[in-house]
Amino acid sequence: MDFVESLKMAAKTLTANRLRSGLTMLGIVIGNASVIMMVGVGEGAQEYVSEQIEGLGPNVLFVVPGSQETQRATFNVPKTLVLSDAEAIVEQVAAVDNIAPEFNDRGLITRGNRTSNATIVGTTPGFTTVRNFTLKQGRFFTDLDMRRSNPVVVLGPDLAERLMDNRDPIGQQIRIKNVSFQVIGVLDEKGSNLGLNYDDAVIIPITTMANRLVGRTSPYGIELTYISVSVEDENQMDAAQFQIANLLRLRHKIVGEDDFTINSQQDLLEVTGTITNALTIMLAAIAGISLLVGGIGIMNIMLVSVRERTQEIGLRKAIGASQHDILMQFMIEAVILSAAGGLIGTGLGISGALLIGVASPFQPGISVTAAVVAVAVSGGIGLFFGVVPARQAAKLDPIVALRSA
Amino acid sequence: MPATIIRLEQVAKIYGSGNTEVRALFNVSLVVKSGEYCAIMGPSGSGKSTAMNIIGCLDRPTNGSYYLDNVDVAGLDDSELAHIRNRKIGFVFQQFHLLPQLTAIENVMLPMVYAGMPSSERQDRAADALHRVGLGNRLQNRPNQLSGGQQQRVAIARAIVNHPVLLLADEPTGALDSHTTKEVMAIFDELNASGMTVVMVTHESDVARLSQRIVWFRDGEVLHDHLSPDSLSEVTVLS
Repeated sequence: MDFVESLKMAAKTLTANRLRSGLTMLGIVIGNASVIMMVGVGEGAQEYVSEQIEGLGPNVLFVVPGSQETQRATFNVPKTLVLSDAEAIVEQVAAVDNIAPEFNDRGLITRGNRTSNATIVGTTPGFTTVRNFTLKQGRFFTDLDMRRSNPVVVLGPDLAERLMDNRDPIGQQIRIKNVSFQVIGVLDEKGSNLGLNYDDAVIIPITTMANRLVGRTSPYGIELTYISVSVEDENQMDAAQFQIANLLRLRHKIVGEDDFTINSQQDLLEVTGTITNALTIMLAAIAGISLLVGGIGIMNIMLVSVRERTQEIGLRKAIGASQHDILMQFMIEAVILSAAGGLIGTGLGISGALLIGVASPFQPGISVTAAVVAVAVSGGIGLFFGVVPARQAAKLDPIVALRSA
Repeated sequence: MPATIIRLEQVAKIYGSGNTEVRALFNVSLVVKSGEYCAIMGPSGSGKSTAMNIIGCLDRPTNGSYYLDNVDVAGLDDSELAHIRNRKIGFVFQQFHLLPQLTAIENVMLPMVYAGMPSSERQDRAADALHRVGLGNRLQNRPNQLSGGQQQRVAIARAIVNHPVLLLADEPTGALDSHTTKEVMAIFDELNASGMTVVMVTHESDVARLSQRIVWFRDGEVLHDHLSPDSLSEVTVLS
C-alpha cells in the first residue's frame, strides 16, 4: 500500500473519532504552545535586558566598590570608592572623557502635603553627558552649585508630575529628607534602566548630598555607590580599563586583591546573557516535559485504540494487509496526531507570545527555528510513542483478532 | 479436467507442546478443484475452523503441506502470505467485518488499496462488484445504514473484487434471518455458477445442502466427504 493511501486512511480514521483525536492532541498542543511561549518569553527577556545594557552606551565603564568576591554578599558592600578617586580618574587617565560619580540613597520627598518615597541621586554635572540624559525643562546643576553645595534639585519627569499638579516645577521648593531644595530642572523621560528608574528620582549635587543630607563621609572623602566613566573612543576601552585599575590600585595602596571592580557594557552583556540563557533553557525544559507527557498521552490512547480495533486489524490482515501495512497505518495515525497537535500548539504559542508582548514591557521573540524545531520534535514524539502501539497492532494474530468479540 | 485449487496433504496442526499439547488437526488430506462448491461441516472442536484458517492462509500447518493454486504455502513468510490472501482468497465472515467509518464502496475498495491499484480502477471495479451483488444503488451508504443482508452482500463484493481463485466463507449466514439467508445463498450460487470456487464452513444443514459437496470433520479428521448433497441426511444420522 502506498504512502498517500495510508495517509488518507489514517485521516479518515482520525476524523471518524473527532473528540478522541482532539483530546489526544491536546497534550501535544499544550506542550508545544508552552515551549514556543516560554522560549519566546525567554528570548524577549534576553533582548530586553541587552537593550537596557546597550542603552548605557558602548563607551561607558562602571567602577563599583568591592571585589567580585565581596560584591556577592549583597548587603553591606564596602564603600571603598570616594569622590577624589573619581576626580583622579578624569584628571589622570587620558582616555577618559568624563565621569559621573553617583551616591544613591532613598528618602522622603515632600511638597506641601504631597509626599513620595524616591531615589536620591547625588552626582556631578558630568552625569548628563556620561549617562546620556537630556532635560525637558530648566537646567542641570553646575560646578558652581557643586562647590557651594547649593540646595538645588533636578527632578525625574514622573516624580515631577506627581509632586507638582500641573504647576511649573521650575523655581518650586521641595523638601528632601526635610531639607529644603529649589527645583531647577526636569529630566526627559528615559524609562527604567537595570532596575534603577531615574524618571522617579531626584538628582542633586553630590556635595550637597554629602554635606546637607547624609552627613557621613569616610576619612578619605565622600563615599560613592559607583562611578560611570565615559571613554573618548570605543577602541580605547581596554586601555582605559587598565589605566583606571592601575590608578585606583595606587591610590588605595593595593598589593593583594582589588577592592573595586570595573565593568564594561560588554562584561555586563556577557553576564546577563549567561543568566537569561540559562533561564530560557530552564523554561523550555519545563515546557518540554509537558510535551513529553503529551507524547505519553498519545501512546496511551493508541494502545487503547489498538485494543479496540482488533477486529479491524484482523480484517485488514485477512484481506491482504501485511504487518508492515498495519505498522505504517498506526504509526501514521500517531504522527498525524502529534504533528497536527504540534502545529496547533505552535499557533497558540505564537498568539500567546504576542499577547504577553502586549501586556509586558518586553517583546517576546517569535523564533522561526523554535517553531520548526517544536513541530518537528512533536512529530518525532508521535513517531517515538507510536512505535509500541503500532508494533502491537502489527503483531496481532489475525485469527485471534477476527474472533475477538 | 479442472485445475486443483486446494490440495492439503497429510496436514496436521498442533497447538502448544508437552502436557498442554492440543491436536486440532491430524492427517487431513483434501483436494478441491476449480469451480467446486464445497461445504465444511462438523461439531464444535472438530477442527473445521482450524482447517479453514489453514486454507485461508491465516495459519500455517504444523506438519504436511498445503498447495493453494499450485503454490506451496507452508514455506511462505508473513508478507508473502498477506499477498496470497490479498490476491487469491476472498473472505466472507459471519460478523461481516465491515469498517464502520467507510462507505460501502470504500469498504469494497480496501483489498485493492492493499494491492496497490490506482484509484480510478478501484472505483470502477468496486462499483462493478457491488452491482453484481445487487447493491448498485447503495455505494455511498455506511454499514450502519444497511441491513444485515445488505452488509453481508457488501462483504461478498469485497471478497470477490480482487478476482480471487477461492471464495472462503465462515458461517456467512450465521447472523442472518432465514429470508436474508436465502438472498445471500443465491449470490453464492450465482458466483459458483459463473465459475468461482466456493468453500463454506457452516452449521446449518439447509445451507450446506445447497452445495455440491459436503466435507464432515470430527476430532480433527475428515469423517466423510460426499460429493452428493442428497447424502446429507445419511451423514446427519451418522454423526
